[in-house]
Amino acid sequence: MTPLLRVHDVAKAFGGNQVLHGVEFDIAPGEIVGLLGPNGSGKSTLLNTITGFEAIDRGRIEFEGRRIDQVPAHRIVAAGVGRTFQLPSMPRRMSVMEVAMAAATSHHGVWGTLLGSAGSRQAEAAAHAKATALLEQLLLTRVRDLPASALSGGQKKLLGIVCALMGDPRLLMLDEPTAGVHPNLRRDIVAALQRLNAKGMTLVIVEHDMHFIREVCTRCIVLDRGRIVASCRPDELASNEHVVQAYLGSVEPKAVEEAA
Amino acid sequence: MSAVFDFAVSTVTIAGIYALMALGLNLQAGYAGLLNFGHIAFAGLGAYAAGIGFGLGWAPLPSLALGVGLAMLLGAFMAGLGRKLASDYWGIATLAIAEILRTIATNEGWLTGGANGISAIPALFDGLPRPWNAVAFLALVLGVLAAAAWLCARLGNGRFGRALRLMREEPQLATCLGYNLRTLKTRAIMASAAVTALGGFLYAHYMSFAGPEYMLASETFLLWTMVMIGGLGNTLGVLVGVVTVQAAHVLVPFAKDWIGFGSDVAGALRLGLIGAILLACLLWRSEGLVPEKLRKIP
Repeated sequence: MTPLLRVHDVAKAFGGNQVLHGVEFDIAPGEIVGLLGPNGSGKSTLLNTITGFEAIDRGRIEFEGRRIDQVPAHRIVAAGVGRTFQLPSMPRRMSVMEVAMAAATSHHGVWGTLLGSAGSRQAEAAAHAKATALLEQLLLTRVRDLPASALSGGQKKLLGIVCALMGDPRLLMLDEPTAGVHPNLRRDIVAALQRLNAKGMTLVIVEHDMHFIREVCTRCIVLDRGRIVASCRPDELASNEHVVQAYLGSVEPKAVEEAA
Repeated sequence: MSAVFDFAVSTVTIAGIYALMALGLNLQAGYAGLLNFGHIAFAGLGAYAAGIGFGLGWAPLPSLALGVGLAMLLGAFMAGLGRKLASDYWGIATLAIAEILRTIATNEGWLTGGANGISAIPALFDGLPRPWNAVAFLALVLGVLAAAAWLCARLGNGRFGRALRLMREEPQLATCLGYNLRTLKTRAIMASAAVTALGGFLYAHYMSFAGPEYMLASETFLLWTMVMIGGLGNTLGVLVGVVTVQAAHVLVPFAKDWIGFGSDVAGALRLGLIGAILLACLLWRSEGLVPEKLRKIP
């Protein structure tokens, strides 16, 4: 079976800082993959290269068998790759509902809007229905008429997820969806993600919370200093020496003995 | 009596024409957040199209189509120019483009009449007796303005405007939702150019004249002042801003007679007064007299 996403030998440097060194992995349809790694390991850069926000220096990225590494960001979204941001920033002069509806991008031309064409009216009605349902699912109905910038950090993350889902992506990439979110809400997010996955959506989740990873992910990819050091099931993480080393640093037996 | 009536008709007509240009600017500056400092070039193209079309013996409508078409082309060009520039540098580039066009208009006498401009452009309702020709023109301007205001509000509140406003505030989010920002900007500038060229076309017919001074950078900044005083991103605000600035313009000569200062002072006072209003707005009502409201969706 062709993988949904294929990342082949991707390298990226900023100035002299080599952030990704030939990263390589596949993601099969229906997986929920956790992307782990210490700060500065290249997770966000990897997300940005896949979604077209950063150009790659080397390698190739394919989505559903088609190259997307030379494609502009907005077209990658249209191809079916959605994403959220780690620290989403939301507009001040648009309500939550308006932002959610703006996330449905079809029929936003000048003439359709001016003349109220059939396509534009249908798109508007569909966006309204979908935004209403998604805001309900992610518990934002109560704040739907507030300025989007007035939401709490956690609620902005939820609105980011709502926006990404408005486009019906086949691959959704979430950057720390539960950091700073209340535990009760976290349970709802987990349930929502599992529901989406059951309906066929493939998920890639950047996360630090191991509890969340074990609960949700079917596989983990661990990055360290721009290289993949492990790709395994979540319950194998603790026994993987590369992972332990990446997170805790190298442990030299002699140093340990001396400390003792 | 008749002089006062003529004066009132002329004041409102000119305010209406400025309002068209300000509505155009609001499509770019208000909804899309684009700092266009060469906006008056669109009006200039509309005015010159009226003059050149008249010189070629065209009827008004084909001349209008020419003006709007040229302005939209210029808009597309400006948008293309902005691809690699940050927004403030793009603003400077647009200012330069407008100045280049003004210089061309001043020097290409065979086409534009040079510094003397093109005069004797016929008023649109010459067949009517005075003062009804002026009243008919005023009615035309107000009718066009009402239609333009309605359309601009519809555009700003609808799906297109929503996309523009998202781009204005969160361009990264707009991109990651699938909007092509370059296309959005191009469309916003072209729509804005069309409305503004219409204003310039009417102005040329009203003044019976088209000249390079129509494209002075100070005209662009006058429009900016109107939009900022009234309220960026709000159609009603734009109209309030135009009325406020135009009222300040018109009232100074009256004050001159009451208080008794010279005409040379009046011009300076006019600019000073508008500057003071703008400053007061920036200090105490930074979003304008009628700020952009959150659009409630039922």
